[in-house]
Amino acid sequence: MSNIELIDIKKNYLGTEVVKGISVTIEQGEFAVIVGPSGCGKSTLLRMIAGLEDISSGELRIGGKVMNHVSPDQREIAMVFQSYALYPHMTVEENIGFALTLKKVDKAEIKQRVKEAAEMLELEHLLQRKPAALSGGQRQRVAIGRAIVKRPKVILFDEPLSNLDAKLRVQMRTELMRLHREFGSTVVYVTHDQVEAMTMAQKIIVLHNGYVSQLGKPMQLYREPENTFVAQFIGVPKMNLLRGKLQGSNFYLQSGQVVDIGNGFTSGNDLQLGIRPEHLKLQATGAQGGWTVDVVERLGVESFVHLHNATMEQLVVRVEGDCELAADMQVNLQIDAASCYLFDDKGQRLLRKPVIEQAAG
Amino acid sequence: MVAVVRSSFEDVTVTHHASQRRAYLTLVLISLFCMMPFFWVVLAAFDPKASQFLQIPQGVTLDHFKNIFANESGMRWVLNSVVIVGSATILTLIFAGFGGYALSRTQAWWKRPLLYGIILVRIVPPPALIVPVYKVMLFLNDWVNGLINQFTADVEQQQMLSRMFSFIDGYLGLILIHCAMQLPLAIWIMKTFFDAIPKDYEEAAALDGASQWQTVRHVLLPLALPGFAAAGLFAFINAWGDFLMPLMFTSSPELQTLPLGMFRAFLRVDAIDYGFLTALAVIYTLPAVIAFAFARKFLTQTFSGGVKG
Repeated sequence: MSNIELIDIKKNYLGTEVVKGISVTIEQGEFAVIVGPSGCGKSTLLRMIAGLEDISSGELRIGGKVMNHVSPDQREIAMVFQSYALYPHMTVEENIGFALTLKKVDKAEIKQRVKEAAEMLELEHLLQRKPAALSGGQRQRVAIGRAIVKRPKVILFDEPLSNLDAKLRVQMRTELMRLHREFGSTVVYVTHDQVEAMTMAQKIIVLHNGYVSQLGKPMQLYREPENTFVAQFIGVPKMNLLRGKLQGSNFYLQSGQVVDIGNGFTSGNDLQLGIRPEHLKLQATGAQGGWTVDVVERLGVESFVHLHNATMEQLVVRVEGDCELAADMQVNLQIDAASCYLFDDKGQRLLRKPVIEQAAG
Repeated sequence: MVAVVRSSFEDVTVTHHASQRRAYLTLVLISLFCMMPFFWVVLAAFDPKASQFLQIPQGVTLDHFKNIFANESGMRWVLNSVVIVGSATILTLIFAGFGGYALSRTQAWWKRPLLYGIILVRIVPPPALIVPVYKVMLFLNDWVNGLINQFTADVEQQQMLSRMFSFIDGYLGLILIHCAMQLPLAIWIMKTFFDAIPKDYEEAAALDGASQWQTVRHVLLPLALPGFAAAGLFAFINAWGDFLMPLMFTSSPELQTLPLGMFRAFLRVDAIDYGFLTALAVIYTLPAVIAFAFARKFLTQTFSGGVKG
């Protein structure tokens, strides 16, 4: 058993609460990603699981045992640091084997286990080099090797890919997933990059201002965000939010434009309409489209069209492949009512009444 | 037209070369002037007829050196200097290692005032401290000699112990004074050095299961080696060159250090033996040069690549 239970975990720094009561369970063998913007407390939370920070209040259990006051090395965990923290005066072999050397494991066994780890990470030919003579990606792999050689029950990753270039990052993502499959250790992975979270996680924990904003499977968070923070944090480009009021099925934007979002919502003022860029369709019009093109970003496989209306409300629309639009052109929008989300003025999601769904069905 | 342009260009080049040559010549002359005393010391040390003037020796002799060790207490002076300055350097490095680490890692409010306080000690000119330091040492000396007298009644043993542990006219006193004088700079060097060693290494070691001592032994010490080399070199060379403290705090000839030996040889009433003095100066310079050569290896050792990409 090596599940991780966080029960109302809090952290104070000199009177300032940075982690404000987090209760989460990460199952055995699960790949959990803690994601959030900088300063949300995600690294602090990870460091508390590692035992590098004291827990101000609450309870941490690993494998059912309370770990609040257990020293880091007794927790049967390994950690990959953002900075890698490879000992610069040791060779790759010594770096990977350091934990085993400290445990006074038999030398032949250390060699064997280091070799196994190196083979898995394709580091065999680099074992005698020092970290300074390695590239960023190789250092990253040594750091991972140092973690897996201990055969830990839990591996913690603190933004491990943030120092790599974009191409290497994509490659390392798939490698990490493969390693997780092979090892089956419980993984807690901290990142500010929602793409890493979406692609790797089995469970995403979105942190915001020291609280859990929402947790769940990646696609669940994408499809059913509970608030505007998660709605905008998960998905690239972020979800469009437009302020306005709802009367019946008509949502009135500040510019006076009307969007039909379908039945089921309760009318009200000060609401936010959420719609993802991929759920919007463009219709090129003549002079009076209501939306003006700002910028077109062409990525080849898709294009992102940035729009604004008379009251300078902004929108992004995703278009397959290339598009013929240019700046200052007028366009019309086609909005799929079923893909619309509605949030109250505090950012909490409002749900459609189920009665209507039955009627619709 | 073209020819005119080219000739003016060549003129410029020629003037440029000439001015450069003049600059080099001036620099060579200045360097020679600065190095003259060193030449004189080295030449005179091996010159059978050394005089106060710079001259090419008629032959080469080691008599001056033999004289220092055979007829004078040269060996004792060298040993005294090496033992006192060496011990003081080691002691300085131990304290500076602990102090520098603590000052680097602490976030306490008193960190900054304390650091400036430490450097302030360094700013005060040593002669200004002689009277108060002597007073303190005198007090400690009475106390330690009282202890020695209690410990043994044998006069010879008392003398021997007193020479070792006395605060005035004893090894311990001089070692501690040198250590205290060199500690401020050494602490600053080590503090700055530990600042540059990320805490990640210690945390990684903790997760690897290293005890505090193992972290120090296997991680911090190897990483801080260039810092120790720098701090040790400065401490050694400063203490080695110190003249005032041995002069103030030792009186018996058995405790005389190299600079004192040289000074007293220079003050002798009979004719000045330049060969003897310059040979002594060469011996006096050598350990500092050796210390530098030894530390250089570590000083240039820069560790990189452990953190970040």
